[in-house]
Amino acid sequence: MSVAAERVATIPRPAANQWWRHRLVLVGAVIGALVIVYQAWSNGYQWPSALEWKSLSTGLDNFQTWLSDQQSSAHPNVVFSVLNGISTGLDDLVSWLATLFHDLTWAGTTALGVLVTLRFGGVRAGLWVMGAFLSFAAMGLWEDCVQTFALMFAAVILSLVVGMPLGVLAGRSDRFQRAITPVLDAMQIVPAFAYLMPIVILFSVGPGAAVITTMIYSVPPAVRITALGIRGVPANTVEAAAAMGATRLQMLAKVQLPLARKMLLLSVNQTILFALSMVVIAGLINTGQGLGSLVTNGLNTNPALALLAGAAIVIMAISIDRATEAMAERTDPARMHVTEAIRGRLRVATAATGAAIGLAVGIGYALDAGSAYTNVGGSPDWLQARLQSALDYVENPSTFVFSITSWIGNHLVEYGLQPLQNFFVETPAPVMLAGLTLIALLLSGLRPAVMTFAMLAVIGVVGEWGSAMDTASQVIVALVLTMIVAFPLGVWVAESARVATIVRPILDVLQTLPQLVYLIPFIYLMPVSIVPGIIAAVLYASPVVIRLVAAGIREVTPNTVEAAQAFGATRTQVLLKVKIPLARDAIMLGVNQGIIMVLAVVVIGGLVGSGGLGYEVAYGLQQGQFGPGVVASLAILALGIALDRVTRGNRRPRLEGNR
Amino acid sequence: MTTTTVSADAVEPAGEQRGDPLIRAHGVWKVFGPHAERIIGSPDADLPRGELREKTGCVAAVRDVSLEVWPGEVFVVMGLSGSGKSTLVRTLIRLIEPTAGAIEITGRDVIAATPAELRDLRRHAVSMIFQHFGLLAHRRVIDNVAFGLEVQGVPKSKRLERAAEMLRLVGLEDAANQFPDQLSGGMQQRVGVARAFAVDPKVMLYDEPFSALDPLIRRDMQDEVCRLQEETGKTMIFITHDLPEALRLGDRIAIMRDGRFVQVGTPEEVVGSPADEYVANFVRDIPRSHVLTLRWIMRDARPGEEDGPRLDVQTTVREAVPMIAANERPVCAVDGAKVVGVVDRDAVLQAIAGERD
Ligand SMILES: Nc1ncnc2c1ncn2[C@@H]1O[C@H](COP(=O)(O)OP(=O)(O)OP(=O)(O)O)[C@@H](O)[C@H]1O
Ligand SMILES: [Mg+2]
Repeated sequence: MSVAAERVATIPRPAANQWWRHRLVLVGAVIGALVIVYQAWSNGYQWPSALEWKSLSTGLDNFQTWLSDQQSSAHPNVVFSVLNGISTGLDDLVSWLATLFHDLTWAGTTALGVLVTLRFGGVRAGLWVMGAFLSFAAMGLWEDCVQTFALMFAAVILSLVVGMPLGVLAGRSDRFQRAITPVLDAMQIVPAFAYLMPIVILFSVGPGAAVITTMIYSVPPAVRITALGIRGVPANTVEAAAAMGATRLQMLAKVQLPLARKMLLLSVNQTILFALSMVVIAGLINTGQGLGSLVTNGLNTNPALALLAGAAIVIMAISIDRATEAMAERTDPARMHVTEAIRGRLRVATAATGAAIGLAVGIGYALDAGSAYTNVGGSPDWLQARLQSALDYVENPSTFVFSITSWIGNHLVEYGLQPLQNFFVETPAPVMLAGLTLIALLLSGLRPAVMTFAMLAVIGVVGEWGSAMDTASQVIVALVLTMIVAFPLGVWVAESARVATIVRPILDVLQTLPQLVYLIPFIYLMPVSIVPGIIAAVLYASPVVIRLVAAGIREVTPNTVEAAQAFGATRTQVLLKVKIPLARDAIMLGVNQGIIMVLAVVVIGGLVGSGGLGYEVAYGLQQGQFGPGVVASLAILALGIALDRVTRGNRRPRLEGNR
Repeated sequence: MTTTTVSADAVEPAGEQRGDPLIRAHGVWKVFGPHAERIIGSPDADLPRGELREKTGCVAAVRDVSLEVWPGEVFVVMGLSGSGKSTLVRTLIRLIEPTAGAIEITGRDVIAATPAELRDLRRHAVSMIFQHFGLLAHRRVIDNVAFGLEVQGVPKSKRLERAAEMLRLVGLEDAANQFPDQLSGGMQQRVGVARAFAVDPKVMLYDEPFSALDPLIRRDMQDEVCRLQEETGKTMIFITHDLPEALRLGDRIAIMRDGRFVQVGTPEEVVGSPADEYVANFVRDIPRSHVLTLRWIMRDARPGEEDGPRLDVQTTVREAVPMIAANERPVCAVDGAKVVGVVDRDAVLQAIAGERD
């Protein structure tokens, strides 16, 4: 299952064709008018400074100072003690987990991971996990992996503890589902980069803050997929149980949970992947050990090590994905057909697994293995040196590779980014504001337009108009590139089964990768500072857009297609005149999802000097400039919501599985 | 009112049911949609379905239905798809909350029942069998059959014993350890039937139990239900949209249209004298001679006719034809030893000829 698959599920019904053509023409007209205004009055009016809330940044700084004063004072304020309690509690949980893995010794930890996967997920999944452990050891990153795993594990457990009961509630009550959906949407729309700063202010840096950052991102899938699972239980089965007089509790325990078991495990799978993808970003505020901080620190100081750590994260993500997905498939009680005899055998297997793990722990102690196990076989220094020389080659201006990448980068800036940035930043702010609101009105309706207006106004008021428009221009370029890559590929995947079988596993892997990991290789490949973020964003968003486009085109009913063929339409005609127009809502959804995903990565690009809002957050984090950092975070949040609303289309929020 | 409503309690039960009815429903309404309760009693309530939906956004699935079912009786509700049959049967045990009306089962007031009382009713007094089976895919067949008892809190060994007995009853003892998705549709519905019988309820509700099955299996299952009915004497409400099925199983049949009962009567009454065009259309293709009995076509005996050849009054016309054809004299219809009427050739010919008009 893919990272964004649950959002893929809401493909709206097609609206009338005419309506759309109309709107698109009008949107084109609005853009044309904006361009004319830009040509005529560029730099005429900026955001009026009378409408800026200039003291916000200092106010935030004062708040932060007040908080840290509280920390040092003898009788801290209640609010502060609560916050402090949470963060130290979480710190303790993470370090307790790390200690647990240490106490198991490396032999025990490996046996635990591999054998449990083997028992519940089968041989193939077991081999994946085994391979992952071997590679961690070979890369010399064992200790960091353990730290990262402990952090992620804590975040996942807490996300599930919070998310699953909420999901069960949402699955059983339409009203609760309606209430919680916008909250979950908001949690997923906001780029992680935007809430790093506030969390640091409230919880200070450390594993606890990292766990909270991760949870904001990983609770929504836990809730959503759990609810989907509960709703997916056949209604007639639930009704039959009710007719037999089952209580609510019996219904849950004996009918709904067992039948939703596979989905519940998939929700664990998704929660883990979401959490893992956030662990890297969380490395920015958890400067201790772990793969995340290796990546974030290494970006500027030790690129080879950052690259290795990135690879370790990728391996961890893929192997956990495979393992949990296999477990979900193989333990589905509706398909397993567990009779008494089989149950007995399974019990024996479980006991044997437990015993083997215990034995491994024993052996670990006997060998005095400890867990500070770093290298077996390959030397990490040797590996790092090799990597470094490869990087040096790539970065050397006289090489062939460099000539290609710099050519691409320069052209992208010259013909795409620079003009667009000028257009966004230099068009008079009020005109831009009106234009974007109008586009939202045309594409999405009144309410989204009002929201767009409000959010853009917030950006102006907090004094981030210029940076936000800079970021917006990067987002648009990345989105256009994404569509250029993903749209034809999506069509191709939908049209050819062979292409689909080749592309699908690649998309699966791409979708399990954390956002930041995409960035790493391009920092070295692309010399221009804005470009790596853009390329990474395109790679990050493309798989989801490809899937949406393909799903939309494939969903066009065979009847319609048959009818067109009966009129003698060629394959191309069917595609252009029937399938693509009918799939346009799915395509619009792809634009909407794509723009949100692109924004998330583009702002991370601020870490490597891409400018815009992301850079202000990164700078704030690295320099301890809290006020400006939080203001920029706020602007990212507002920009995210605005971009979502502009591109939302006439899609109405629809409850899944609601009859 | 635009449509005539016939309430079941206006019609005397066929045969010799005595005592109090086991199920009694009076003036039951179910309206889906916003502010459903406001519709009832207002002029809107009599609008045709489509207009009501246009005007209020509500669907009146069941309208003012009353029925009484006596112990041991098979009461069939039939009607076209969407006529409200499933909704009606679900309101009886409040799987769907009725919008208005009074319901009593085994003397208990269902509408006023607390959740615990309602559970008790569902656990012990009434069982339901569903069109789409509603089996638990994650449990063995035998655990599915035992589920009702499990919900009641019966200990494991006891409930498995009872479930095994029920599986024998429906001829599925060999499938006990299999899983629902390993069985054919007919077998799955047998499991559904066994599950319903396992709790030994007084009342069985069948909601189109066999419409997902192919015709041959369906016939088998109907035989099965007839047999179980005879062996156990349960009271049944049986929903179907298949008229032959209704005629085969039903002691009385209620014909439902757009949420109302348009006719309630014995199979003979429904076939012999349809209440309106709608019912007449329904029964048009049914060979009358297969359904009508001598009771329906006999006339009073004239003096001297009472010593003719005798046939039971319950004999269908079709079965009576050979004897009537072979005899010059009218045949006497007897109930026990008593002659209740006579049937002559004209009456038979008329009954058969009536099939074609
Ligand atoms: N939950 C619901 N919400 C709104 N309308 C409903 C609901 N359930 C049923 N209806 C409507 O009530 C009417 C009666 O439905 P019902 O299922 O009782 O018909 P039925 O006679 O059982 O038909 P079938 O033979 O197809 O099972 C239909 O028009 C249906 O659309
Ligand atoms: Mg029905």
